Amino acid sequence: MNVALLAGAVLNGLVTGMIYALIGIGLSLILGLLNIPNFAHGVLYALGAYVLFSAAVGPVGFWGGLLLALVAVAALGGAIEYLAVRRLYRVHPDYILLLTFGLSLIMTEAIILVWGPVGITFQPPVLLAGGVDLGVTFYPKYRLAVMVVAAAVVLACWLFIEKTKYGAIIRAGIEDRDMVSVLGINVRRVFTVTFAAGAGLAGLGGAFMVPVRGLIPTMGIDILPFAFVVVVLGGLGSLPGAILGGLLVGVVQSLMTAIWAPGADFSVFALMALGLLARPQGLLGQR
Amino acid sequence: MAQVTRREFLKSTAAASVLAASVGPHVASAQGKEIVMLGIWPFTGPFADVGPLLDRGMRFAIEEWGSKVIGRPIKYISRDSETKAGAATRRVEEAIDSEGATFVIGPWSSGVALAVTEVAKRRKVFYYFSGGTEEIAGKRCHRYGFNWAASPYTAMHVVMDKFMEANPSAKKWYLFVSDYAFGWSVEKYLRLAGQKYNIDFVGADRAVLGTREWSGFVGKAAAAKPDVLCLLNAGQDVILSIREAHNFGLAPKVPVVIGWGVGTEDFVQLDAKTRENLWVGTNAYYTVNTPVAKKYAEDYQKKFGVPPGYAPSAAYGMTRLVLRGIEKAKSAEPADVAKALEGWETEDWPGRVWINPKTHQTVRDYFFIRCKKSDQMKHAHDYADIVASSSQPLMPDEFNECKDIGSL
Amino acid sequence: MGRQRPLLRLAALIGATILLPILVRPVVAAEIWIFAVAAMALNLIFGYTGMLSFGQATFFGVAAYTAGLMMIHWKAGLLVCLLAGIVVGALTAAVIGYFCIQRLGIYFIMLTFCFNQMFFFVAYKWTSVTGGDDGLPGIPRPPLALGPLSIPLNTSLRYYVFVAVVFLVLFYAMKRIVESPLGLIFQSIRENPSRAAAVGYDVKRFKWIAFTIAGAFTGLAGVLYSMMFGIVPLEVISWVTSGDIVFMVLIGGIGHLYGPLIGAAAFKWLSEAVSVLWERWPLILGVALVLVVLFLRGGLVEALARLRLALARRRLAAGAGAESA
Repeated sequence: MNVALLAGAVLNGLVTGMIYALIGIGLSLILGLLNIPNFAHGVLYALGAYVLFSAAVGPVGFWGGLLLALVAVAALGGAIEYLAVRRLYRVHPDYILLLTFGLSLIMTEAIILVWGPVGITFQPPVLLAGGVDLGVTFYPKYRLAVMVVAAAVVLACWLFIEKTKYGAIIRAGIEDRDMVSVLGINVRRVFTVTFAAGAGLAGLGGAFMVPVRGLIPTMGIDILPFAFVVVVLGGLGSLPGAILGGLLVGVVQSLMTAIWAPGADFSVFALMALGLLARPQGLLGQR
Repeated sequence: MAQVTRREFLKSTAAASVLAASVGPHVASAQGKEIVMLGIWPFTGPFADVGPLLDRGMRFAIEEWGSKVIGRPIKYISRDSETKAGAATRRVEEAIDSEGATFVIGPWSSGVALAVTEVAKRRKVFYYFSGGTEEIAGKRCHRYGFNWAASPYTAMHVVMDKFMEANPSAKKWYLFVSDYAFGWSVEKYLRLAGQKYNIDFVGADRAVLGTREWSGFVGKAAAAKPDVLCLLNAGQDVILSIREAHNFGLAPKVPVVIGWGVGTEDFVQLDAKTRENLWVGTNAYYTVNTPVAKKYAEDYQKKFGVPPGYAPSAAYGMTRLVLRGIEKAKSAEPADVAKALEGWETEDWPGRVWINPKTHQTVRDYFFIRCKKSDQMKHAHDYADIVASSSQPLMPDEFNECKDIGSL
Repeated sequence: MGRQRPLLRLAALIGATILLPILVRPVVAAEIWIFAVAAMALNLIFGYTGMLSFGQATFFGVAAYTAGLMMIHWKAGLLVCLLAGIVVGALTAAVIGYFCIQRLGIYFIMLTFCFNQMFFFVAYKWTSVTGGDDGLPGIPRPPLALGPLSIPLNTSLRYYVFVAVVFLVLFYAMKRIVESPLGLIFQSIRENPSRAAAVGYDVKRFKWIAFTIAGAFTGLAGVLYSMMFGIVPLEVISWVTSGDIVFMVLIGGIGHLYGPLIGAAAFKWLSEAVSVLWERWPLILGVALVLVVLFLRGGLVEALARLRLALARRRLAAGAGAESA
């Protein structure tokens, strides 16, 4: 394997890895704080992608579309938590899982009804057309842009969670939910906001993925298992874990495509299994 | 409380049975006069864009016949194959059981076709498929199953021979292959066809149908420094891989050959830039100048505003041959129509066709086309010129795995 | 009185197996019982032991592919394949179960899901063995060989009878398991794992046993499925199928012995009937699931019970009104 191929593979891995990290952060927050394996996380990612697509071909444009994807899917997430998930907190968490599974079926079919069953290929905006000669390899501009912008969002999330007061509340809630409510904080509101934020990040991830892989109604179903691996590998409820997990999954998948393509996806799950054998709580998890 | 539960359980079972019986499946009552034809097309899944076009093509032919043949009305039904073997076979069986379908055309995926042909064989219904897998007219041949598309042996030889004629120094080929029955067949025969020219296949990547991420494969191809990037994939994978090849600077420097393309349906999804230096082997291109094809291209474009590509032409061509076969046999029994088609040589779509009685392979022209630059295009749909068309070479007997096509 | 009830229920069940191929096509009826077995297995670990597995398709699929390959390459007999299904299902479950049991709750669910995906990708990409997305075609249906007797099962109806008989046997086996001391241990683990541990049961070990037993049942169901259409489609090992099985248990009624049967019947019949009418039928499925989860968590069994209660109340009120009038 020559240097150009290796460099390209690593770069590809970082691009998808950043997006996986975004999805993983969202899922990890929801899992960590609300104790919900959000089976609708994949379809929220898909919705973000479709919102971007509609915005980009309309008056809003590509850049506005990214913001719209984040906001719209976050709003939807908040609504889901407020209207449905909330009713089930006192019941067994398994039922919330099943609720999100049902929602994922509904929303996938809704995507087909609204946007049709056909896959869509998407040209990146003209500003990002073409490529850059990085010396070691030639790389498309739009991919570099996605990687950089997604990394910035990931960094912003990390800073928010680690450095702000609200972030501290969320971290505390992940560690000990009951303590947080004893401290007089409106836990219900934190839950809604967290679910919305998690959903919004998934939607944004989907939007970023559009110029990379295009859109297809099943993209949510396809990405969900990888999102789960990111979180399981990184450690439930750990944001740095989700980031590390996301990047690892992205890079492993990409490197394996270059080395042994049929085994690329399997390797991701093998990685998870190995990780669990070594550290059952995930790489950076505590529980 | 327990006793009531038991009674209610029985009562609800009885109620449910009555309900089910009234709504449940009914055996087709109008079996006497009607001829029921099933189009099993992909309306969802990786070929979802093609389903409606195939549906169009089959309807077109049936409507041309006035929805009647040998004095009997034709009932056309379509079902979603989902490009899933499980779903497609169930729907075909259901259509045979509840609607009385006796003619089945479709699906689009070679892999699904392998499963559907087994159903056709078992249920003794007439079956026509258009695809690149050699198995329909090969290992899985039977008296009721026919393949309409050119044999992959012939097709890949046409592609290789005609491309090398125009580019004799292009010795290093990199392949993208769809990892299912279709891809395996065309890859096998492309490699065979390349032997004559001592082609060095510097690499081949098999990717499952529906792969969205092509950056890794394009990177590998670029690293191998090929003279040709040959795509033996299908569906949107073709579009995505061409786009990615351009994004990473591999194309149009390196020519791209689509070995088994759909022609027009692909071209409308690409733009002039991504069609640069693109060569396509295909079963159908609308500019072919034979009577049936020309008329169809004109009528189709008049009705739908775009010229027909491989998909609607295939559905049209297969349905035509079925209808003409029924007329020839003066019967709509699948067995009679099968016998009528065997060994028949006639002018149809896209020209002269001959149906090999030993294998049920339809022998007809395969086309090699070259895309035009935007300044060469005389109108919006003037995507390409037909560089060559041929129904030769025929697959020699030693490759033919259909040793005994069986009985009716 | 108490002893007649279960016998009557069993009789009703046998009656249902006789009636079913008249109401729906034998192919659909056979599928119902096959998935009823898979749903029963999930009910054992979810309804009775409290572990939600979202990866039962792993065992269903692995057994189906194993049996399919055995029949294609070794011309293996029917009973040998069934046995292989049990063994393969149990072994796979034992291995995966070992990993998953280490964790609780949502972690467990996600692990079952992820291992399902792992096996899915093996089946998807190992096309030379499994056929990948095309599925594994050309599977013969071997005759039932009982000593000197060889009964061909080549028609849908005959195969249905075979499947129905196997189902009834498996149902009886499951009934015995849940009503045995082992079954009671499972239920105590669901009710209160710490108490069960305090009493002296090795909770992890019993969970593992339940998981393995469920794997065996699911594997057998997978083998029966492989012979249905002559093909093993990729969906048998997809997490969507895992989800379907969960759905069947949920709508039937978790923790009831007959729940999964009702759930499988309702699900399969509905999906057959509705999918012909509207291709977007998974939307209805999703809506049904959401409604059940929010308002009707006991599933159809609870719905029937509620209906009965409402009718009984109305009758009482009418009776009281008539008396006073």
